[in-house]
Amino acid sequence: MNETKVNKTVIELATFYVGDALCGMDILKVQEINKLMEMTKVPQAPEYVLGILNLRGQIVTIIDLRRKLGLGTTNLGNDPRNIIVNAPGEHIGLLVKSISDVVMADPDKIEPAPANMSGIQGTFFTGVYKTENKLIGILDTKEVLRLETENINRV
Amino acid sequence: MSFEDDEILQGFIEESLEHLADIENDLLAIEEGGANIDVELVNKVFRAAHSIKGGAGFMGLSVIQDLAHAAENVLGLIRSEKLIPTPDIVNALLLASDQLQQLIEDVANSNSADISANVTVLNQIYESGESPKSAEKKPRQAKESPPAPEVTSEPAATAEEEPADKGQHVPEESSTPVIEESAPSPEPEPVFEPEPDPEPEPEIDTLNVVQDKSPAKRSTPKAETSIRVTVSLLDQLMNLAGELVLSRNQLLQTITSGDVRNAEAVGQRIDLVTSELQEAIMLTRMQPIGNVFNKFPRVVRDLSKKLGKQIDLTIVGKDVELDKTIIEAINDPLTHLVRNSVDHGVETPDIRKSKGKDAKGLIVLKAFHAAGQVVIEISDDGRGIDGDRIADTAVKKGLITQEQAKVMSEKERINLILLPGFSTAEKITDVSGRGVGMDVVKTNLDQLGGSIEIESEVGRGSTISIKLPLTLAIIPCQIIMTGGERYAIPQVNLEELLRIPASRIKDRVERVGDAEVVRLRGNLLPLIRMSDVFDIERTYYDYQEESFKPDRRENVADRRSKSTPLFREKDTQPEPEQEKTGEEQRSQNRRRSPSSALNIVVVSTGAMKYGLIVDRLHDSEEIVIKPLGRHLQQCQGYAGATIMGDGRIALILDVSSIARMAGLTSLEGSERANELAEAAKDAITKTRDKQALLTFSSSPQEHFGVPLNQVERVEKIKYNDVEEVGGRRVMQYRGGSLPLVSIDEVAMVQPLPDQEDLLVIVFHLAGKDIGLLATGPIDAIEISADIDEITLQQTGIMGSAIIGGKTTMLVDIFEIVQTVNPQWFEDQAVGTSYDEDAPVPTILIVEDSNFFRNQVKGYMEEAGFNVIEAEDGVDAWQMLEEFFAEIAMVVTDIEMPNMDGFELTEKIKTHPTYSALPVIALTTLAADEDIARGKRVGVNEYHIKLDKERLMESVHRYAKESMPSGR
Repeated sequence: MNETKVNKTVIELATFYVGDALCGMDILKVQEINKLMEMTKVPQAPEYVLGILNLRGQIVTIIDLRRKLGLGTTNLGNDPRNIIVNAPGEHIGLLVKSISDVVMADPDKIEPAPANMSGIQGTFFTGVYKTENKLIGILDTKEVLRLETENINRV
Repeated sequence: MSFEDDEILQGFIEESLEHLADIENDLLAIEEGGANIDVELVNKVFRAAHSIKGGAGFMGLSVIQDLAHAAENVLGLIRSEKLIPTPDIVNALLLASDQLQQLIEDVANSNSADISANVTVLNQIYESGESPKSAEKKPRQAKESPPAPEVTSEPAATAEEEPADKGQHVPEESSTPVIEESAPSPEPEPVFEPEPDPEPEPEIDTLNVVQDKSPAKRSTPKAETSIRVTVSLLDQLMNLAGELVLSRNQLLQTITSGDVRNAEAVGQRIDLVTSELQEAIMLTRMQPIGNVFNKFPRVVRDLSKKLGKQIDLTIVGKDVELDKTIIEAINDPLTHLVRNSVDHGVETPDIRKSKGKDAKGLIVLKAFHAAGQVVIEISDDGRGIDGDRIADTAVKKGLITQEQAKVMSEKERINLILLPGFSTAEKITDVSGRGVGMDVVKTNLDQLGGSIEIESEVGRGSTISIKLPLTLAIIPCQIIMTGGERYAIPQVNLEELLRIPASRIKDRVERVGDAEVVRLRGNLLPLIRMSDVFDIERTYYDYQEESFKPDRRENVADRRSKSTPLFREKDTQPEPEQEKTGEEQRSQNRRRSPSSALNIVVVSTGAMKYGLIVDRLHDSEEIVIKPLGRHLQQCQGYAGATIMGDGRIALILDVSSIARMAGLTSLEGSERANELAEAAKDAITKTRDKQALLTFSSSPQEHFGVPLNQVERVEKIKYNDVEEVGGRRVMQYRGGSLPLVSIDEVAMVQPLPDQEDLLVIVFHLAGKDIGLLATGPIDAIEISADIDEITLQQTGIMGSAIIGGKTTMLVDIFEIVQTVNPQWFEDQAVGTSYDEDAPVPTILIVEDSNFFRNQVKGYMEEAGFNVIEAEDGVDAWQMLEEFFAEIAMVVTDIEMPNMDGFELTEKIKTHPTYSALPVIALTTLAADEDIARGKRVGVNEYHIKLDKERLMESVHRYAKESMPSGR
């Protein structure tokens, strides 16, 4: 009983590096993390779409988070991963430079994101979580997965 | 209103829609039955209406409930045989069921819908049925729609007087006006808690709109989101899934134990279970075609009433099952075809009678399996399709030519109806013939991977057969590769695969404007380079290194040369220098390797056909279509994706959107390409000189040609006619001796064979006749082919050309005679001796063809003149301005690009200082008018091309004349 209570108040954040920025998202939104890199390029796709991937018979669109967040095309490093998240009607993979720990975050310590965080557009973050030595930007998955055309409509 | 439980609501909707689907056909059956009421049937409809009412009441859908209730009341009367189901009444019930369907499809807004019109009509019927004398009610309706039919009281009338009340049907079917007028009636029946109608007018409008739209709306039902599957099938699936799990466990065990033999068995088992599972799952997608067919009785009924026709519809094979997606997609084309049959096929009763047919037409809708496909046939016994008329119309509309029409079979003519832009309807009705027609049907079917075929006999009727695949989920595809990625092209779109070897690209691929086309069996096929459309880096597959390399060519023709037939003459010159760079050098080697072959996938979609240039062609495979994610929906050109055997993904290409992306629009694109190509062809033949040649042989393997205008005549002789006198071969000819030569005396060619029949080609040179011995076959042809003056050039042979697929050597008769009889030309040589001190005269040769220019230049230089060359009039003018002081005369071709010979001559002759220059025109155009024109602009002499002797004679003459002038 007590444990479930704890679970409800503490958010578990899966953290990962996008470029040099440490980001995190609610672990419950993550379906899996893999290192499949056999992507098929899709000509004419939006620039931030890296390609498509066969995830056990499902076609998964892979989004390069760096580009999506406007961090340019820095080196991917040698341990890139796909974070597969659930989106309405499909799965989408977010390509990150590397993954980090799972952080138990106290919701009270999550602060609203500054408009401009490490050069990343503030709109993609719901907040910032401060650990002892680091800041974790909490990704707004909805915003990240939103189509750019929709963005325009929204604005 | 809030719907607490979506599932219950969804259940209600599905159930109700099912009921409604049945109601429609049952009502039609009831109508047919007339007075002989089938109580069982009426009961069924009654129960259906009742359960809709009940469900709606439970869900709080009061409007639906009311309407169902009103319908139920009327049905109750019919059931208790108090009311005879006339077409009128059935119509009202049908309209009510339509309305119900709409309401149920849009449940959320159903309570705010206005149904008073339907309810009023039903209530009137109900009341009239309640009162014993139903006829009493009729006058009331009559008031509202004056020519109201009096059918109700006499049940027999409906059945028997069908032809007679055709006229009455017209006003009657428009029970809409009846409703219209009754709708705003201020006293809606109080019994059925009327909706408050503060604004009656807009309601009428909406009502009308709804009713008008209803047929159209029905034809595009909402895509179903749920599907009903029999429990037994589900059980089967469950079993198979269980099997699969068991097999997996076995497999895992085997893998751990490393038992190879067992692994094989397990593998087989999994294979079996998987295929069974696949089949079973496919079955869940299968639906009876009856789902589509069922609506046609109504369509035919309504339409035939409207058109005053009598038509029976027979449906066969309702149980034939098709994939759900196909069932949904086939709806529109089928509706169109059935409506066509009713509108254009079946005649009106009087016409039918006059032709000795039954007044009632028959349309048969039939579905059956054949050869792994489902065939749907729509046949009628109407007037049939007149192939000749179709062909006439097609010719008139410019879709085909008269000649094409002539050679077409009757069946082909009939199938012309499928061409875009074809509509035979003589009068345009609102039923069909709106300019869109069968081509849309065909396009729709093409998209489904189906085909359509029409058979017809004038006066007897027509049959349209549609063939459809059972499913769309698995489709055969051609796998291709471009830019290192694989793509799949549905086999349905695939026409053929074309591979043009590197050496043939020049001949086959041409540029028309900025479009590339390929000649395919006489037709021009527009080409689309896949890498361009998709903006992929161009690559080519290197077979030696087995890898893809970037490709730098600008266009296809660049593979071998920049020149195309259009620009050949101009571009061939600078090319060699350009290509000396290292990079190009490599590409030149590549040109000869297999990797520069063009791989073209010829695809078609609807009426459009084009070639897609890809890097590599792979196998054909059966693939499963998977949708692309949301982020990729905006990308054009893809129909989805599929997973290949190696686990990687290949994108499936959408052939029609690729055409759009490349700017090809249906027929226009290819037609335009055709037109342009024709123009280009004209331009080619215009800019290039045609040369008339006499072709002959002198040995079985070798073929020769001489310019026809040099030939005096051709004699057939026997071998014995040739006499060897004084070391020379001669023959008797016109009372004298004709010296004979053969090519092998001079040139390194095969000797003349020993044969009885020989030919002598007589030339007239230097005032004498000479005969060239040859053998047949001889032929006179006009060529505009390229003349190669290098490869086979030798003494007596000026070059070669490919004529009729054979390498033909062009004989230089002057050289031959000069070699054999040098003394013949000595007179002229004497005549050409100039003063040693005087400068050698310079001649400007203007000629666009390399071959002729070199030829003439050769003659001149041989005779000791200096030569300046120019490629065309413009070039020549520049030369003239630069070197005027040296130039003694101009020898010019007539047919040239940019500035032709006439123009050049005119320019020279009207110029104050140049006008004294003699101009000799060389031409293949020997027509009188050309000569006249030449004279008019000031040409001094006119010579037929390559009549060396006469040309040189006049050149010498003019050269001498110009000498004294001191140039």
